[in-house]
Amino acid sequence: MENLILQLKNQIIEVLNLEDMTAEDIDAEAPLFGDGLGLDSIDALELIVLLEREYGIKLSNPAEGKQIFKSIASIADYVSKNRKK
Amino acid sequence: MTTLAHIRITPSETLLNGKVISNSNISGIYREFIGDYPKFFKMDSLCKLGFIAAELILKGQTPEQKENASIILFNRNGSLITDRNYQKTIADDNYFPSPALFVYTLANIVTGEIAIRHKIYGESSFYVLSHQDDEMMLDVVKNAYLTSPPSFILTGWVDYEDEGNYLADIKLVTK
Repeated sequence: MENLILQLKNQIIEVLNLEDMTAEDIDAEAPLFGDGLGLDSIDALELIVLLEREYGIKLSNPAEGKQIFKSIASIADYVSKNRKK
Repeated sequence: MTTLAHIRITPSETLLNGKVISNSNISGIYREFIGDYPKFFKMDSLCKLGFIAAELILKGQTPEQKENASIILFNRNGSLITDRNYQKTIADDNYFPSPALFVYTLANIVTGEIAIRHKIYGESSFYVLSHQDDEMMLDVVKNAYLTSPPSFILTGWVDYEDEGNYLADIKLVTK
């Protein structure tokens, strides 16, 4: 799980252009939206694309998103249970 | 028209009111003078250029002055570099379009980024011209005073072709 969390951190830094930020700067348990990383709705779309492209996960139920994208740790948990690749 | 301030940014130098203040590139200028707006890194190149120009030229303007200001910008390349980058993300059969790129496939987004940052609520508009036509640009700016006159207008040329070819030539003007 630690490896997956690190991989997700690096992928998120890349796709969201979080320059000046390293994986160590991101708390896996911190909120991604609002406080914490302060991501917005466009970033949420980018994360959905990331899950599909890198892990073959299609989010069919938007209501799930709030829980899945709560933190890096919650994304890692969901990916580990649902990944297709 | 009275010019309150003038900024000119090229790949080789940045001049504020005729004085060279930096020789850095766009991200270098951000780190040198701004540094407190992480959203900058999510912007496309045109927005980054317009954003840093506005940051530098608007220093000294009060929130009250900015609230009633207008933004009128012009360029030649529109958002072409981002349009091309976005097109690359949808070129393959099994494509994954990038929402973060898509939102910048309009040149006028730069006026919105500036307005959001500085809480500017006046008119904003963006014109794509074949060349830097100062006479036409001045006409457009004068027309902005025909209805509800702004406190000042942030106006000028902001064009990004590639990392070696860009120009922000922006003024704050008032009647």
